[in-house]
Amino acid sequence: MAEKKRSKRFETLEQRPVHKDGFTGEWVDVGLIAMGSPNDPIPSIKIAGGKVVEMDGIKREDFNMNEQFVADYAIDLEMAPKAMAMSEKEIAHKLVDINVPRTECTKIMQGLTPAKIARVMDCLNIAEIILAMQKMRTRQTPGTQAHITSATDNPVMLVADAAEGALRGFTEMETTVAVVRYAPLNALSLLIGAQVGRPGTLTQCALEEAFELQIGMRGLTAYAETISVYGTENVFIDGDDTPWSKAFLASCYASRGLKMRFTSGTGSEVQMGAAEGKSMLYLEVLCIMITKGAGVQGLQNGSISCIGVPGAVPSGLRAIAAENLVTVALDMEVASGNDQTFSHSDLRRTARTMPQFFAGTDYIFSGYSGTPNYDNMFAGSNWDIEDQDDYLALQRDFKVDGGNRPVTEDETVAVRNRAARALQAVYEEFGFPPITDEEVEQATYANGSKDIKPRNVPEDLKAAEKLLKEGITGVDVVKALAKRGYNDIAEKVLMMLKQRVSGDYLQTSAWVTKDGYVWSAVNDPNEYAGPMTGYQLSPERWEEIKNIPWAVRPEDI
Amino acid sequence: MAELNEQLIAEMVRQVLKGMASAPAASGASAPASSGGKVTAKDYPLGTNRKDMIKTPTGKTLDDLTLDAVMKDSATFKDFSITPQALELQAQVAESAGRRQIAMNMRRAAELTAIPDERVLEMYNALRPHRSTFDELIAIADELQNKYNAKTCAAHVREAADVYKRRKLLRGDRPES
Repeated sequence: MAEKKRSKRFETLEQRPVHKDGFTGEWVDVGLIAMGSPNDPIPSIKIAGGKVVEMDGIKREDFNMNEQFVADYAIDLEMAPKAMAMSEKEIAHKLVDINVPRTECTKIMQGLTPAKIARVMDCLNIAEIILAMQKMRTRQTPGTQAHITSATDNPVMLVADAAEGALRGFTEMETTVAVVRYAPLNALSLLIGAQVGRPGTLTQCALEEAFELQIGMRGLTAYAETISVYGTENVFIDGDDTPWSKAFLASCYASRGLKMRFTSGTGSEVQMGAAEGKSMLYLEVLCIMITKGAGVQGLQNGSISCIGVPGAVPSGLRAIAAENLVTVALDMEVASGNDQTFSHSDLRRTARTMPQFFAGTDYIFSGYSGTPNYDNMFAGSNWDIEDQDDYLALQRDFKVDGGNRPVTEDETVAVRNRAARALQAVYEEFGFPPITDEEVEQATYANGSKDIKPRNVPEDLKAAEKLLKEGITGVDVVKALAKRGYNDIAEKVLMMLKQRVSGDYLQTSAWVTKDGYVWSAVNDPNEYAGPMTGYQLSPERWEEIKNIPWAVRPEDI
Repeated sequence: MAELNEQLIAEMVRQVLKGMASAPAASGASAPASSGGKVTAKDYPLGTNRKDMIKTPTGKTLDDLTLDAVMKDSATFKDFSITPQALELQAQVAESAGRRQIAMNMRRAAELTAIPDERVLEMYNALRPHRSTFDELIAIADELQNKYNAKTCAAHVREAADVYKRRKLLRGDRPES
């Protein structure tokens, strides 16, 4: 059979990176639909005797555990009759209307059922979602978070990359592991590196729930966010938890003075094969409301590790922006995703981030990779360290505060070196496998773990075990630093430990300045009400964003 | 994120407001006995503005937690923990900012401060699906209530036991468990 004659134009297009991405049509029966599944419940609420007796067409006796938890803890029963009586369009209008205060919108949203919220979102186009996000964001000042990981769990690289990440302006930094047993050492590297780069930076180590809590109890991390919740009962149970166990866990964190947020995201239920034909956004709204009901201050969402699923269906990236919006509209902090590789196309991955970037969120990224992609142990982020100058250019092009700042090579090399030296001293004090001067030098000037000689892994793992067994705490780290003359870093690690005593950073959307002062939605509430209100770049901050080091300076010509 | 230069301004505003609002806030009925008052969002951040109300579990102030004190072992790791009183104050801050669920979480947390790390982790694991029988969960609720005076947490676990029973999430409810 003769081969079909091909168009050179189409052959060219097929070679483009976007053709390597997965795209699929909607498949309602398995929940492969972003928003508005015909199987989504019809909004309704009936209240009797101070209890919700029917929600979204489901009778109380038939509630699954998620529905019961949401009905009992996440809905404001006083507000519900009034809010549910409004049309979806009317509520959507209020969300984008600069004349309706944010506080009024959050009150209405808290009186809605999951199905109603999902329908309100379906009334908004992407530009309206961005406008609404700008207004509804919980904390006025936007921020961003980094991933700091290493393909070889190299502690010297981790401490140097943490220092650099903090210097670049990430207010939170998250690590995880290549080899699980390295976890305590990774947490230690981030704790020290962060305080060298920009004191006040919060750090965490993402692992199994109970371990995350343990390492936090030791004062080696300041917060946690990989506390997953799911929209269907079956998937939640597969995830080995319930809303009650997760709410209890949330209280455990607070009882130890640790900041925490939950994690969820569209597509997780489809990916785990039990979406029950519901739309991804409807199921995600249940997750958001479970978080609200548990009394957790914030949520990491925006599909997160399941981005491939909504990324493949029509209106999927819009649904992701909508789930971020629901989180803040329910008055919680959002760490808005953008943290996982989902596309081969640079155009697509940039576009995916723009709604959060333009609107500003509490954390635009819940993991901008502060390392090369090959070192990212969260399966790669949507943006990597190699993209940082593009990101700085975008902040400058659009006059947007994306949370990062231009840095010079000299200052970056300096903080990397100092962080590596400090860790070298702490390892010696703890009797851990030595960090050589050569390793310090390599980590100082490296781009990724390929630029540094491998460690003796079995020996490092013994040290990690020792750290756990001997009960080494944040206070021991302070002492080791001070003993070796790193008093300034010791003071800052101490400052972070003191946060656990006051608990100020347990409030919604909190971050810590270099002097230990806490800003959150309590003392920096978003008061956006139209042009020239809300968050405004200070003249100093705008100067900083403008001055990318590689721009030509007219005065030099 | 850019450092805010507004800390001083915030401090000044607070001082001014303090001068204006010399009359004490409503009732202190639900305030913890040792704190002697109620706080609101205006007092936040408490570690800066209400240092007088924040103590470590051993009764030290935030200013006592110096590097010198750590090096001399007069401040130990135990001092770097939150107290039930501080959590109650943060619950009040959250409540005054309109966040009732967070306040509830802080109050559960206040109760859990008394429970050792290991036991609190065991309790969490027991609450996971298909881990405990109904009676085992009720026993945990009783322990919370009787041993630790953790009434809110006890009610939370009792409610979980009922839900797990109804939704078949107890140990033995699955053929393989």
